[in-house]
Amino acid sequence: MPPRNCALCNTARAILKRPKTGQQICKECFFYVFETEVHNTITEARLFNPGDKVAIGASGGKDSTVLAYVMKALNDRYQYGLELFLLSIDEGITGYRDDSLETVKRNQQQYDIPLKILSYDELYGWTMDAIVSQVGKKNNCTFCGVFRRQALDRGAAMLNVDHIVTGHNADDIAETVLMNIMRGDIARLGRCTSICTQGEDTIKRSKPFKYAYEKEIVMYAYFKKLDYFSTECIYSPDAYRGHARVFLKDLEAARPSAIIDIIHSGEAFEITDEVKATQKVQQTCKRCGYMSSNELCKACTLLEGLERGMATSAITDRARKRLDAEGPGPDNLRTIPYFQRGNTAPSSQVANG
Amino acid sequence: MTWKFRRSLEPHINAKPDGPRRTALKPTGNLTIGFSGGLGSTVLLDLVNRYYVSPDKSLVTAEGGRDHPRNERVWKKVTVCYVEVCDAFPEMKDRTDEIREIVQKCEGVDFLPIHIQDAFDRAWWEKMGGKPVLSQVKIDMANENIPFSMLSDESLSSSLSALRTYIASLPTPTALSNALRSLTRVLLQYAAHFTDSSHLLLGASLTSLAVSLISSISQGGGFHVREEAQEEWFADVVQEHAEDSRHKKGKWRGGGVRVIRPLRDVGMKECAAWAWWMQLRVVGREKWRWPGAKVGIGKLTKDFIAGLEKDYPSTVSTIVRTCGKLAPKGGTVGKCLICERPVPEGVQEWKARISIRSHETPSDAPVPLTSPDLTSLAPFICYVCHTTLTSKGTRAAPPLFPPEVGTPGMVSLPSWSNARMSVSTDGGESNTGRRIREPEMREIVKEYLLDD
Repeated sequence: MPPRNCALCNTARAILKRPKTGQQICKECFFYVFETEVHNTITEARLFNPGDKVAIGASGGKDSTVLAYVMKALNDRYQYGLELFLLSIDEGITGYRDDSLETVKRNQQQYDIPLKILSYDELYGWTMDAIVSQVGKKNNCTFCGVFRRQALDRGAAMLNVDHIVTGHNADDIAETVLMNIMRGDIARLGRCTSICTQGEDTIKRSKPFKYAYEKEIVMYAYFKKLDYFSTECIYSPDAYRGHARVFLKDLEAARPSAIIDIIHSGEAFEITDEVKATQKVQQTCKRCGYMSSNELCKACTLLEGLERGMATSAITDRARKRLDAEGPGPDNLRTIPYFQRGNTAPSSQVANG
Repeated sequence: MTWKFRRSLEPHINAKPDGPRRTALKPTGNLTIGFSGGLGSTVLLDLVNRYYVSPDKSLVTAEGGRDHPRNERVWKKVTVCYVEVCDAFPEMKDRTDEIREIVQKCEGVDFLPIHIQDAFDRAWWEKMGGKPVLSQVKIDMANENIPFSMLSDESLSSSLSALRTYIASLPTPTALSNALRSLTRVLLQYAAHFTDSSHLLLGASLTSLAVSLISSISQGGGFHVREEAQEEWFADVVQEHAEDSRHKKGKWRGGGVRVIRPLRDVGMKECAAWAWWMQLRVVGREKWRWPGAKVGIGKLTKDFIAGLEKDYPSTVSTIVRTCGKLAPKGGTVGKCLICERPVPEGVQEWKARISIRSHETPSDAPVPLTSPDLTSLAPFICYVCHTTLTSKGTRAAPPLFPPEVGTPGMVSLPSWSNARMSVSTDGGESNTGRRIREPEMREIVKEYLLDD
């Protein structure tokens, strides 16, 4: 078959077929459409104001590596006027996170963006290695997910930033829409397609890659020769999410637009007013000051379970009742430092590139 | 099982759903049952027969008042409608006679067979009371804007050829099965309307409803999440004189057709148990397979949910319950020309914004909200139908029929779409509320018109 011309510029030779549109395009046009779509996402949602301090959640994986590169490029090109930071969370997983953090440190040098690393160990007193040794591999993703979310907010508060951007891509969002429907998590379903979420007293959190296909992010990294770290977490992945991911990949193989179609679906419905009225009101955790829908936030509940040797107490009802039956915890229980915007404790390092 | 069936059906029989109903089940019209020969519709037909047509004394207890089903039929006329799809597949058996045999076992029930190509049959459409089709709309699915032309009467092709060209032009197996499902549903709705039915019952069980919800969401149908479970549909491209005459005879209801799935709380296994206990003959539905075609989203979803249900048995009820808590977000801009469900506003703008398909839009300016392009069908169809017609697979689907049977190119639309477009050109209201006269329309689309 003779080489085809790019469907966009009609001059250069097409070298790739966009998964998102099926168009055959050249490399330069691919860079243009990829970056411009992210720019459109940012401007359409009015994510930033000039002078904003923005932390890029960086794990060293493909999404956050490309996000850091694109954010810096767009900030320079369109003069957003943002002050960018890299923010990494060290979960304490030997052989996984320590390797990927090396990638983030290289990114910091390459992009000349200050980097802050905050570890579970310094924030919660527990590494994921220690947590897995107590809870096993079955439910450890619950701990990691809850702790990471709060750690990112706390890291951002230490940097005194207004906004965190994360590398969640279109595949992640589509998968979350399906998962929340199948698990009946109506509260999360209502907000999972929002490009920007902001809890009371917390920092804004956005997903500029909301409409970017995972495959296109990999293509972008490949053609730009970006350096990223890729491996599965050594602790077993969430089985249910694994099912949803495989299903989504099958849907994408059947019809590539399925990913964006699911996101469109998620944006086209909302929770009925009657159901909204029954949802819990957001409050502040009485122990650590972080946003919570109960008296104690999920992170404090999980931490208390770990400290008292009943790690599953925040996961199963039976374990929760057993913990409650034992009465209040001891006074010397380790807790998470009180959450405040602009907080600088615990001790941390901010490296400047 | 019977309690779940009645709980899902009876609150929706009376025009006002909240009124007293135990003693007064008074529908405003007749009843149509969509029958496929599958497990769900077989069980549904049996339950309707036992409760509302020939009451089974072991099931219908002595409770209730004067208007209880045992005293008076709830629906005066019950029609079972079967849509035969065999002509959409290269080698599939026509099962109409087999289905007729099953339906005729229920006394007091009429049988109305329809062929899927009747969707493109002008004579069938007008016989059923549809507004005359003055010209035929032909579309080009290869272009994402779906340009259309209006062809004159003489150029009308046979309904079978039109059907086969339509499905041969669809880009993926997912689109094929979705298009057939959509045509079947709309045919049933019009059949219900033309039999003066106020209710159309479909045999979707809890399991199949969960599958169709996830499948619909995976095809961009989030806006129609309510319609997947239940909908109130109005026929608006039918002949006024037909309505008037029925009105004079005191038959016309003046309302829409309520599409209900009374087995929505009954799992597939419960349906199977009922069919076994009641010794029902389930002829089954032919598998929708095209030789060489990859598996579509519908089948993938069905397999996925079936697999998930083994490890997480509450999955199907959770899906249906969760979707029951959702409502469409944003406004509508009319009814889809193809599937007759609401068109959410801003679909084309959304698609243009999230994926750049040309260099024409300035990169640093917000995407303009353009007025509907009158040469394009895209603004008049919903997200799902637009995706069905235009979203391509990774590889081209193999041809379904020999080239002489249906050659993809300019493709006909179903009769209701033609009638709706004719309404627009004939002085009626279009989806956007703007009246477009035929000369103006012709001027707009002249570059797509074939020589007379």
